[in-house]
Amino acid sequence: MKALSNRTRTTTSLPARTMTLLRNWTLVPGAIAASILLGNLPTASAATGDALVIEAGRIITQAGDDIIDGVIVIQDGRITAIGAAADVEKPWDAPVMGGPDFTAFPGFIEAHTNSGMDRANENLDVTPFLNVRDSIDPVNFFFEDCKRWGITTLNVQQGNNTVVAGNGRIVKPVGVTVEEMTIRPDFGYKISLAPKSGKSRATQRQTLNRAFDGLRSDLEDKVAAAKQGEAFAQREALGQGRERDADAGEGRAMTGEGWKVEGLEMVKRSDIDAKVLPILEMVEGRHRTFIYCGAPMDVQPAIDFATANGLLAKATLVLDDSCWKAADAIKASGLSVVLDSNMVHIEVDPITEEETETFVPGVFSEKGIPFALSSANPSTNSLWFQAALCVGYGMERSDALAAVTMTPASLLGLGDTLGSLEVGKAGNVLLLSGDPLDMTSWVEFTIVDGVKIYDRSKDVRNRHLLYGVEPRGATAIKSDAPETPSEVEVDGEVEDGDKVEVDGEVPEEEVTEDVVEEPTTKD
Amino acid sequence: MNTFLSLGAIALVSPFATGGDIPQIVWDAPAETAKAVEASATVETVPIKLEIFADAIYTAAGEMIDGGTIAIAGSTIAALTPGGKGSEGGLHVAAITPGFVELSPRINLADLSVEESGEIMPTMRANLGVDLYDKRWERLLNSGTTTVLISPAAEDIVGGLTSVLKTGGEPTVEAREILADATLAGSFGSHASRGNHAVYGRPTDHFVRRPTTRMGTEWSHRKAFYDTLAAMGSVERQFEGWDIMGSVLKGERAYIVQASATQDIRTAIYLKEEFGIPNMVVDAAAEVWREPGLVARSGMAVILPPFAAQGRTAIDNGFLAWNTAKLLGELGVPFALSSHGSASLNGRLSMQAGYAIRGGLPFEQALAAVTITPARLAGVDSRVGSIEVGKDADLVLWSGKPFAATSRVVGVILNGELVTK
Repeated sequence: MKALSNRTRTTTSLPARTMTLLRNWTLVPGAIAASILLGNLPTASAATGDALVIEAGRIITQAGDDIIDGVIVIQDGRITAIGAAADVEKPWDAPVMGGPDFTAFPGFIEAHTNSGMDRANENLDVTPFLNVRDSIDPVNFFFEDCKRWGITTLNVQQGNNTVVAGNGRIVKPVGVTVEEMTIRPDFGYKISLAPKSGKSRATQRQTLNRAFDGLRSDLEDKVAAAKQGEAFAQREALGQGRERDADAGEGRAMTGEGWKVEGLEMVKRSDIDAKVLPILEMVEGRHRTFIYCGAPMDVQPAIDFATANGLLAKATLVLDDSCWKAADAIKASGLSVVLDSNMVHIEVDPITEEETETFVPGVFSEKGIPFALSSANPSTNSLWFQAALCVGYGMERSDALAAVTMTPASLLGLGDTLGSLEVGKAGNVLLLSGDPLDMTSWVEFTIVDGVKIYDRSKDVRNRHLLYGVEPRGATAIKSDAPETPSEVEVDGEVEDGDKVEVDGEVPEEEVTEDVVEEPTTKD
Repeated sequence: MNTFLSLGAIALVSPFATGGDIPQIVWDAPAETAKAVEASATVETVPIKLEIFADAIYTAAGEMIDGGTIAIAGSTIAALTPGGKGSEGGLHVAAITPGFVELSPRINLADLSVEESGEIMPTMRANLGVDLYDKRWERLLNSGTTTVLISPAAEDIVGGLTSVLKTGGEPTVEAREILADATLAGSFGSHASRGNHAVYGRPTDHFVRRPTTRMGTEWSHRKAFYDTLAAMGSVERQFEGWDIMGSVLKGERAYIVQASATQDIRTAIYLKEEFGIPNMVVDAAAEVWREPGLVARSGMAVILPPFAAQGRTAIDNGFLAWNTAKLLGELGVPFALSSHGSASLNGRLSMQAGYAIRGGLPFEQALAAVTITPARLAGVDSRVGSIEVGKDADLVLWSGKPFAATSRVVGVILNGELVTK
């Protein structure tokens, strides 16, 4: 389960690989024996080291051509082989999922969201000392919806109603603790150029500049004080005729592309206020930033701000739908963008009241600016739908699909591990009943790191939404209507879905048992 | 009692009363070319001003035409010719459907405007209070909706008379109206009594009135129809609007009532059955799936509210299962989809058809549910709702298969005029 998390990656991958070797060599019957042997107990029930074989009539890899009648082999959470069925050797003991009726597609990636948090913003203006870890609710219904609609990676950042927000986090919608969900801890900061509630643009920017410039002058003061102290210590040592104890070396010179405070190496980092230390690290280019622009007028100041403070190399603009007007400035800056979920910007002429519609992703696509799409709602208008609308507006299908897979992966710095189905990448695979952009397609299975985390045939809520079947505990209402066609429907429908490997008719009891796996917020 | 029961019995045989066996408009395929020829023979009188070729024409009046040309003369469809490739430089699109018909656009009276002088207001007319300069008309038109039924708000028990309008053209009711006083609007559920309160102390506002509960709403409804029956039998008992109420009882006019929750749908059905109201349509009927047997038996028609991501719809929190449209189709209940006036990319009427298809509804039924069925329910199917020679040239031009998420409305033709690019 933690194959992707920063800390565990290096520690688990080597033994895990040895483990697989062992299995092939000595035919040790199970991974558990091997892992005990190596003292490598898997932390989650989804045994690291288990292999999974996924078969699909069509694999849309997002890295080259589609594969017809293909196979994906996932081991230790990573794809170890992918190709046409004839070319891929399947581990003899690995469970097999899918079949010729399925289309395999990489898990969707939400490039920026503040859903799934209990509250998206703090009242304070500058809060880089906060962390969304403390706000993400693993059993939030939102994450269940993510599984259901195939979103396997999410960049959770604080909301836009801020000046400098807390530390974000990249998560997968799997697990009951934030740690279990984490792909990249302490990832990125939100900065907003648009006025937070109660502020004008002027006070917003003043507050923002003060946060950065204030830190700079604070640091300069600290350096000056350190120099003075240094001079004093030297004189004192000289007067006493002794060698001076060197306490330098605990400080560190400033790096990065932005402004620099000369002599910062003289100041211990632990002497800098921890509340603003993350800002120094931002300036040093050590954090990604997500800079929100609420209007076209925010874009150039955002770029200037990012340039002056050394954020440019790791910044992404999070844009309001109106910001397409500043696309040229964005293009010149070389920044990538996350687009608003509302993809059609409507401008009303103040005099004639005439409305002009602009299809926003189209503008960015034409200008060659890397863009990621955002979900309009966590369910029906999720990322697949947004990509489909883009195709409707004439965008190349490959560009539209990239905007919900590869592009967000790259702009999160995860292009090597996510966003496409390739050997070495994470085993995040969706098995769909048809083409991902088709109205009638459903995510039948969601697989994250080689572990099945969602099975539509056992999704009680999906059945309720689709067929109106009451979840358990709400059956009394039906007592006076013993035979409702809607219930008959369910059976018919599930039989249709025989392609689903799981047996067509799922008894009520079985269904509820499986639900336990998934976090539920509602009874 | 016997009086109104017999009245119910003499009610005309209506498409609704027959339990959903909707009379289909006959599409005589072999006669197709003959029709075209016939039409081209009349070209001398009204010249063809626009010809559009489409790879697929979904007429809502029979089989899809796999490649064909629609010729428009004046404001009507002059000819429909299958085959061919379209003329050089002529208009060529991927698909054409009829313009959509929306029965629940909710842009009725500018901002929500409710007649507060009473609850039984059959003589109110929606077309007298409509704001045709509202920007939403244009948005609806651009999203493909060419005809709507406007109603008085559902905050009155009997709201008044509806009107069928085109969504574009000269901004006058005269120019846009295709059927005045089309149906009567009524309401069940919490909206009808919303805001009302009993007199306490000195009456201070219009809302000092009954009813204040669902029970009261039902009682008021029944009283209104009892009074109507009495008025029909005795001149002395006549009241303002009794004839309009009477036209509903006689089946001359459909009665469209808002009812979303199961209990309200039941109440509506019981009212229909008690008074033998022949043409009754339940609007915003989200929870109709809970009472499929009852709805099918009652012979009602249904207007579904827009689909909601988590199932709960705006009116009375009714839960709309995504396969409800499919279910109604299988039961043979006539139904229309609605967007409640949304023109947004994910809420518009064409997308509602897409969602219904996602819920299992066959394509042809989804098409009918946004075109010919609502046209029929509003009584304007002789003019709009399908692509047939002689009907109004209200067309939606598509970039691909209609209602697919990957397709877009690229143009709309209203009364023979191309209104979008």
